[in-house]
Amino acid sequence: MLTATHLTRAFESRVAVDDVTFEVRAGEVFGLLGPNGAGKTTTLRMLGGLIPASTGEVQIRGVQMNRQTAESLRRRIGFLTETPGLWDHLSVEENLSIYGRLFGISNVEGAVADSLRRFDLWSRRNDRAALLSKGMKQKLALARALQHDPEIVLLDEPTANLDPETARGVRDMLFDLRRRGRAVVVSTHNLDEIERLADRIALVSTKLIAIGEPALLRRQIFGRRFRIRLLGTPATMELVSVAERAGARDVRIEEDGFSMLVDVPETAPAIVRALVEHGAEVREAFDDQPPLEEVYLKLLSATA
Amino acid sequence: MNVGRIGAIVEKELRELRSNPSAVLPVAILVTVCLTVPFLVLVVMPQMTGESLAADPTLRLIVEKAARSSPRLAALQMEAAVEAFMYQQFLLLFLVAPIVGAVSLAAYSVVGEKQGRTLEPLLATPLTTAELLVAKVVAAFLPAIVIEAVALLLYVLLVFLLASPGVAGALVNARSIVLVGIVGPIAALAALQMTIAISSRVNDPRSAQQIAVLLVVPLVVMVIGQISGAFVITVPILLLMAAVLAIVWVLLILLSMALFERETILTRWK
Repeated sequence: MLTATHLTRAFESRVAVDDVTFEVRAGEVFGLLGPNGAGKTTTLRMLGGLIPASTGEVQIRGVQMNRQTAESLRRRIGFLTETPGLWDHLSVEENLSIYGRLFGISNVEGAVADSLRRFDLWSRRNDRAALLSKGMKQKLALARALQHDPEIVLLDEPTANLDPETARGVRDMLFDLRRRGRAVVVSTHNLDEIERLADRIALVSTKLIAIGEPALLRRQIFGRRFRIRLLGTPATMELVSVAERAGARDVRIEEDGFSMLVDVPETAPAIVRALVEHGAEVREAFDDQPPLEEVYLKLLSATA
Repeated sequence: MNVGRIGAIVEKELRELRSNPSAVLPVAILVTVCLTVPFLVLVVMPQMTGESLAADPTLRLIVEKAARSSPRLAALQMEAAVEAFMYQQFLLLFLVAPIVGAVSLAAYSVVGEKQGRTLEPLLATPLTTAELLVAKVVAAFLPAIVIEAVALLLYVLLVFLLASPGVAGALVNARSIVLVGIVGPIAALAALQMTIAISSRVNDPRSAQQIAVLLVVPLVVMVIGQISGAFVITVPILLLMAAVLAIVWVLLILLSMALFERETILTRWK
């Protein structure tokens, strides 16, 4: 639905985004990850038709974004900017209705009422936007970005500064968008959140460093690995050296035993057998996935 | 150009103005001054001093010179002619009112968007840069012109009530109509456009106002020149002024369009 091909953007001599290519499908939540200054916001702005690419192109359903098409393509996009950017002197309802008219919604009143109810803003509809809390402002900005029911949703840090309950509401809303076949691009620093939300992620640091499903990226970086947990016995130290000789690593002494990491799953049965033969009692063996943070940091350090 | 989108932004600007009336404070003060000073000079002061303005020989000479190019003025008695001449000079103050009004409204509207960081979401809508600019100009121009029109009506009404018979009628002539109906609005548009151009480079509405209001200086020079009798501004001179201001306005539109490039707004406005 949304494709970025060799997207590059330079501001005078500084290159903010360098040759980034990816595609976002309908019904997919796509995470854009990267450190500060990695070009995430610039990428979102190019995807949203706010600024042109220096080279490369953005296409929405095969239509290239350019000066001539940007106006009509922006109708199909909902963009949540990094700051809510609300008109503080206007009421919650007025903020929504003006945007409804800018997007050419046929029944603005109905759409505004729906948005107010959906985002739990109905009781505050007559309040000035300036009087809302940070979380409510973010909700209103989201309602504004989504009230014209866009096919493509671009979200810059959607849960920044939100309390856990509101952040959860935002996540639920994103799942709903995915269920309804919308293409969603989320830029964030929050790795836990993106892990829960995104079907695929792209790690960028000016250039595209890696792209794929979080689980696949983990395997690419760390391989498949198991952790085996054993009950402690008087011969613990002997068992540790048996395990290490058999290929286990990261042996940790735990409260009632010890655990070890087995990088290559094919060797796991042999290691377990060797341990059992030496009197160890295997308590559990499970897939040990490193947190996304480890993947992120490893990929970034490899690029640096 | 989509009129619906322009209308939406104009409505938003007017609603913001309703909830932030301090933006019209400068023009409200100026209009009050415009409506007070002429009557202080022409009604209150002669009553307090017991001396008519027509007794001033220099003023009589200036009025006689002006009457040569104004049959309506020439038709009045000297007392009424002096009053009509003076009320007409004070009419020039009403040129300044729409300029100050438009400048203060435009400065708030552009710098306010910058300060509130409200432009980025706006630029993510189908709204084009030209539509945004037109909406900003219309939204600042309309209230300024409405204020000018109301103030002028009040002025003529007060002249009718307080001045000598025939003075109010003498005020309504081709010169006054060109002055307040053509020169005033075009001067306001030029000042407005200048404010918009300046606003893209400053972060405080007061800075934009201070610079754009410089456009008032030639008008003040004109008022002083008229009253001192240094020159008489005729209808052709006023039309020439209107043409020059219109050219300045068009040039400023082009400058504003260049400065309002969405890329500039997003990446350089701080």
